[in-house]
Amino acid sequence: MASPSSSLALISTSTLISQGAEAKVYKAHLSAAPSDPPVLLKHRFRKGYRHPTLDASLTRGRVAGEARALLKCLRAGVNVPGIRMVDAAEGVLAIDWITGNSVRKLLPGGADEDEDTGEDEDESEADAADALQEYDISVDVLMQLIGQEIAKMHLADVIHGDLTTSNMMLRHPASFTSRHPTLRTELVLIDFGLSYHSNLVEDKAVDLYVLERAFSSTHPDSEPLFASVLKAYEQRLGKEWAAIGRRLDEVRLRGRKRSMVG
Amino acid sequence: MPGRVRKDPLRKPDRPYLALGLEGSANKFGAGVIKHFEDGSTAVLSNIRHTYITPPGEGFQPRDTALHHREWALKVINDCLTKADVSMHDLDCICYTKGPGMGAPLQSVALVARTLSLLFNKPLVGVNHCVGHIEMGREITGAQNPVVLYVSGGNTQVIAYSRQCYRIFGETLDIAIGNCLDRFARVINLSNDPAPGYNIEQEAKKGKRLLALPYTTKGMDVSFSGILTSVEAYTFDKRFRANGQPQNSNDEDIITPADLCFSLQETIYAMLVEITERAMAHIGSKEVLIVGGVGSNERLQEMMGIMAQERGGKVFATDERFCIDNGIMIAQAGLLSFRMGFETPLSESTCTQRFRTDEVHVAWRA
Repeated sequence: MASPSSSLALISTSTLISQGAEAKVYKAHLSAAPSDPPVLLKHRFRKGYRHPTLDASLTRGRVAGEARALLKCLRAGVNVPGIRMVDAAEGVLAIDWITGNSVRKLLPGGADEDEDTGEDEDESEADAADALQEYDISVDVLMQLIGQEIAKMHLADVIHGDLTTSNMMLRHPASFTSRHPTLRTELVLIDFGLSYHSNLVEDKAVDLYVLERAFSSTHPDSEPLFASVLKAYEQRLGKEWAAIGRRLDEVRLRGRKRSMVG
Repeated sequence: MPGRVRKDPLRKPDRPYLALGLEGSANKFGAGVIKHFEDGSTAVLSNIRHTYITPPGEGFQPRDTALHHREWALKVINDCLTKADVSMHDLDCICYTKGPGMGAPLQSVALVARTLSLLFNKPLVGVNHCVGHIEMGREITGAQNPVVLYVSGGNTQVIAYSRQCYRIFGETLDIAIGNCLDRFARVINLSNDPAPGYNIEQEAKKGKRLLALPYTTKGMDVSFSGILTSVEAYTFDKRFRANGQPQNSNDEDIITPADLCFSLQETIYAMLVEITERAMAHIGSKEVLIVGGVGSNERLQEMMGIMAQERGGKVFATDERFCIDNGIMIAQAGLLSFRMGFETPLSESTCTQRFRTDEVHVAWRA
């Protein structure tokens, strides 16, 4: 584990890429050697509004939890970025840099996430199709990959907690050598910030339901897409599917009828 | 569709409009008169409220609350009209809370509204309570398109506007935040006057020790029932001193009611600010509007302010006149939909305990 000052020093030499609700994301190099691949630094910075004691214990717990979930996935053979550095006290996590695109941008409707793109829908759909060609993969195969990775993760009893198409990436063929005979890319699950360990049918079903909602709100007319994700998931999961599938049906009803009365 | 600006569907009125709003979904009965002018501006002519206050250690029961509303309705409405200097005949419509809320109090107020509507031959407009809070907050603060944190005794929601609907991004999975505070105030026997939450806030200022409580955010949702159980459990701890005083000079490791109030506030408000920040990041908004009774809490406003500042944004909050349930907000939301041609026929002038914010068609916004 690096000392606090050194991980903060590292951040000061890195490039800020984005700021989410919880963390700032940087691109950094762990050593000065030119052959050293870049890493992604996720810094859960101090929240001024939170009591310092509460803030420190939450940050520590979340960084450690995220690292733990990633490790568990790596051991189970789920495609996730490898861990390069953990500094729980400072709230810094470094993981492998992945060159590629998020699935959200590769599917119709997902490209116009940034406001004021000025494009109309037909154009962005054409863009999405072009982008998929670059990865040499059909939408159907992509959906299968998603289903398989989630199934592998659930078999390892890891619940992602925030499954969306933004939290899945495809490795770009130009910077990735696939060992698969026909596939030139690989699907990687990212952002385990809300993940936890559970073997409950309920948690797995809710995880799938979150993804279903994300699909329908980001990608118009995506019902057949999500159906093929579920099909691949079902195949990979085997006999455990029956219970999860049944629970997923129940969770869907619950979501719609949730009452607002306290 | 981003980048496309739709035209404002609400046209400026051809003459001044007047509406009376009646609210009574919980333990407050409120009446208010609002006026919309031809130039699009708005004036609050009067805003009167009477609160049903129960003794310490007791909550308000639906039956007794309904009785309170029936007893006070006419007096409050009369005061409200006198203060506004308008007569019932001048009104364009009578707006009442259709839901959500407690059944019996809602019914009492709906009955008053129906009776007035028949007596003076005025159209009725049923209003969603939550939309009332949001519209009044927007009117008072001038916030254009904020992320709304709606926190009260019966509701906890993070809301953002999208395509003529107030979409709920996150909400409580069990009890509302105000319910959690009220029930804890009962546990440590705090007064319900003027409000349990207010007394917890004052008590928390004396607290020093932050005790560990569960921190239960789940994505953009939150849960409070476990926190309530945990904070209650501290009152059975052998270090707990109900009077807040050490027993002797060596009695240092103690937990006081003030410490519990402090810890409870710090934990649950941090959770609310966190989910609000997540919603802001998600939709890319820089404005936050806090509405609902708990929104008058100064510590919550302060924490939200720090968060917004860190993001380069701004917080809009109102004071207790408009935060806490009131009649004027019902008049405002009701008059907006009335000007869009919406009316509730007498045969449909019901009320309902379950009425989600996202069920309302927000016709008056682009």
